[in-house]
Amino acid sequence: MTADLTTDVLVVGAGPAGSMTAKWAAKHGAKVLMIEKRQEIGSPVRCGEGMSKAWLSDVGITPGRWINLEVEGARIYSPSEKVFEINEKHAGNEVGYVVERDEFDKQLAIDAANAGVDVVLKTAATSVLKENGRVVGVKAKRFGEPFEIRATVTIAADGFESQVGRWAGISTNIAMRDMDTCLQYRMTNVDCDVRYCDFFLGKVAPGGYVWVFPKGEGLANVGIGVQVSQVKAMADARNYLDRWIEHHPGYAKGKKIDMVGGGVSISAPLKQTVGDGIMLVGDAARMIDPLTGGGIANGCIAGKICGEVAAEAVHAGTPTKEFFQKYEVGWRAVLEEKLYRNWLAKEKLVQLSDETFDKVIDALQGVRLEKLSVHNILKAVNEKYPEVTKEFEAFL
Amino acid sequence: MPSKKHLHIESSGQLCIYCGACVGICPLNCIYLDETRITFDEKVCTRCEVCVKACPVGAIEIG
Repeated sequence: MTADLTTDVLVVGAGPAGSMTAKWAAKHGAKVLMIEKRQEIGSPVRCGEGMSKAWLSDVGITPGRWINLEVEGARIYSPSEKVFEINEKHAGNEVGYVVERDEFDKQLAIDAANAGVDVVLKTAATSVLKENGRVVGVKAKRFGEPFEIRATVTIAADGFESQVGRWAGISTNIAMRDMDTCLQYRMTNVDCDVRYCDFFLGKVAPGGYVWVFPKGEGLANVGIGVQVSQVKAMADARNYLDRWIEHHPGYAKGKKIDMVGGGVSISAPLKQTVGDGIMLVGDAARMIDPLTGGGIANGCIAGKICGEVAAEAVHAGTPTKEFFQKYEVGWRAVLEEKLYRNWLAKEKLVQLSDETFDKVIDALQGVRLEKLSVHNILKAVNEKYPEVTKEFEAFL
Repeated sequence: MPSKKHLHIESSGQLCIYCGACVGICPLNCIYLDETRITFDEKVCTRCEVCVKACPVGAIEIG
């Protein structure tokens, strides 16, 4: 028998959002337990490993050996492979560092542990405990043994496939058009440029893109996301990616040494991410940027707020939905507008023809944008192809 | 009541890569990922086929 446990704050899932939440709750004086169903934090990696860097210091993450390499910027390829180059500072939340994601997740868990968080591996939540409608912990299994964890505040940081939030009665359902199905190979002996993260748009990846994130010495993560609503046949993600590689000699000659897959939400923000006794954070709360598919920065930024509010609720003895509005309002103030705007942009982009993509990228050739924004891009496109920008009037 | 179609999740590892894409999109929350095992609740599943499309490697079949 595994003994039942009691804690102030229970964090389910030791990814970046979970570790950040746990760390900041502990730093604010709460007793925190973080459970992880896997036997190793951060592994297997399910990520393209691209990350922006401006936000890291804001949430207390210091550079470490998890940095694989630094890139100068992003290159966006149109279907006819015209290229638009963007400096790293303007390129959105997947460009800046290429990271060793398993090392990154471990570092954040170490930071949490050093702040006083107890970490328990090989432990999966199997349902939530509820009393008078309030979540008061979870039923869990550790090494296959069932036991209970009682907590004043429960945090669902259990990733894209989150079930804790749904068990608690918070709707996290997403439509097929709001999810990309993703597959990625780590390839060696490929001709990629270590100065750039590359993105290939259009019919090569309907409703998503093909990415190439360099890992140095001819190694790269070569992956694809395809909008689920645009999938026509079984294994389309793999088929599209294989086809893309086949048509690019610099990659076709490479060798695959690793394969990962996963789901990425590309949805508008959830209406609600808190309930009595519970808060959702990171991919579980559908905080992924719907335009880039990047989720780490948003998960960590929200995680810090979530941890602080969790600790406050413990001290005040008020783990209520009303009290957790502080988190709801807090993360939305920082992230919601951009998430919503990028979701609208995504909704529009997925409808564009290859021809239009080509025109947009072509119009940007040689243009130096002061600040990269949808508005500025459209202004540049408007000068050369006014008919294209008509489709985007809402953004001008 | 008409009998349901057969849904098969190939989760022995020949196709499945345990990525959880099907788990996350299942509108009825009836697919479970337990490290290297995926199961679904036969009774709850309505054969909506969303998971079939979400699977990046074609490990879920219906018919």
